[in-house]
Amino acid sequence: MAYKPQFYPGSTSVGINRRKHMSGNLEKLRDIPEADVTAIMGHRAPGADYSSTHPPLKEMGEPDCPVRQMVAPTAGAAAGDRVRYSQWTDSMYFAPSTPYWRSYWGAINCKGCDPGTLSGRQIIEARERDIEAYTKAQYDSEMTDVALCSMRGCTVHGHSLRLEENGMQFDMLSRTEMGADGNVYAVKDQVGIPLDRKVNLGKPMTEAEAKKRTTIFRADGIAMCGEVGARKYDEAVEALHHMWELRSKWGFRPE
Amino acid sequence: MVTESDTESIQVEIVPSRFLMPASAQKLLNEIYGNGGLIRIMIHGPNLPRSVPYGPGRGAPIDENRDLLIEVGGQAFELCVKVGRIRLELENAKYFDGLKAACERALPISFQIRRGKFFHTRQTITDYAKFGKVEDTRILGLIDPRAKKDRLAILSEEKVTIDDEER
Repeated sequence: MAYKPQFYPGSTSVGINRRKHMSGNLEKLRDIPEADVTAIMGHRAPGADYSSTHPPLKEMGEPDCPVRQMVAPTAGAAAGDRVRYSQWTDSMYFAPSTPYWRSYWGAINCKGCDPGTLSGRQIIEARERDIEAYTKAQYDSEMTDVALCSMRGCTVHGHSLRLEENGMQFDMLSRTEMGADGNVYAVKDQVGIPLDRKVNLGKPMTEAEAKKRTTIFRADGIAMCGEVGARKYDEAVEALHHMWELRSKWGFRPE
Repeated sequence: MVTESDTESIQVEIVPSRFLMPASAQKLLNEIYGNGGLIRIMIHGPNLPRSVPYGPGRGAPIDENRDLLIEVGGQAFELCVKVGRIRLELENAKYFDGLKAACERALPISFQIRRGKFFHTRQTITDYAKFGKVEDTRILGLIDPRAKKDRLAILSEEKVTIDDEER
């Protein structure tokens, strides 16, 4: 029987969502045009050429290497694209994804990328045409709620602050705004430079839907160890304790 | 049991569950002002810079954060922060219930209101470095220690002054 990865333990909705993120088996909620994703990333104008760091691999003539023969290069690597980034900030108020789960998603499902996990932001670096595809996948899928998550190359501190009155994650640079029609619009690229047009990102999730899709354990949502007074230890806690025990004892060998 | 004095001033903190839009902040501040008994008040929240402070887009203007004018008690002033917390001092405890009712009227969202001690009473080294010896102690606790001297906002019955530089 072929091995089937289990990804993450537990039967809570958060555990199930975490498994979905890691496996890449995500629901597609919206379809933002590639040109708009490129504009928000801000590395090149939509339709412009990709800048490159080396000639296409076919023209370079690669050395005789069994690994290179086994592994097909990504489209960006084959074309010699420059490495670019996209960085996400997810609110602690029940955003669907968190930095760790974006990184797990990237590391497991995206070829040739370098995810970086920080407390409030998550960056993925890859060749330019690859990172554009990965960013679009994140934007379109249930990993992203357009009000609670946004692409921010700098000033990411809204993730840990209260939400704004209209339910948007606070952004000092006002990169996204809530339109009068209830849709969220991107008005600046990820580093705060105004776009030449507003990009419609669609309607945000309701509070109930965000709680349903979140990968965050929270005392006022799904708590990892159950409610106070009615503790219920999910399999995720058992696995966590097991890992903690092994890591604590690692290398400790009393003779 | 300690009997509460009704002649001493009290300090209050109001924390809405979300950051307030300028219109809501104006409504709330006017209700607080209308309740009376105010000795001093401070609004607190994350800074709203006028231009991108760092990163590749440094210097790009942030038009959304400019000209956030609100009018409180007939005086107009410009908001420099996203209003997330209000601390104030009332003349005595009898104004507290009215203040609570004012918040309930003005805020469309839930909020916390509590009494405590929120302004310091003795000059800190930062206060001394910025102002020398402070004569009017009401100013203590109203000052962001990291702000430059010319970015202070001081509200009084006579005038409202705000100097804000481009950042």
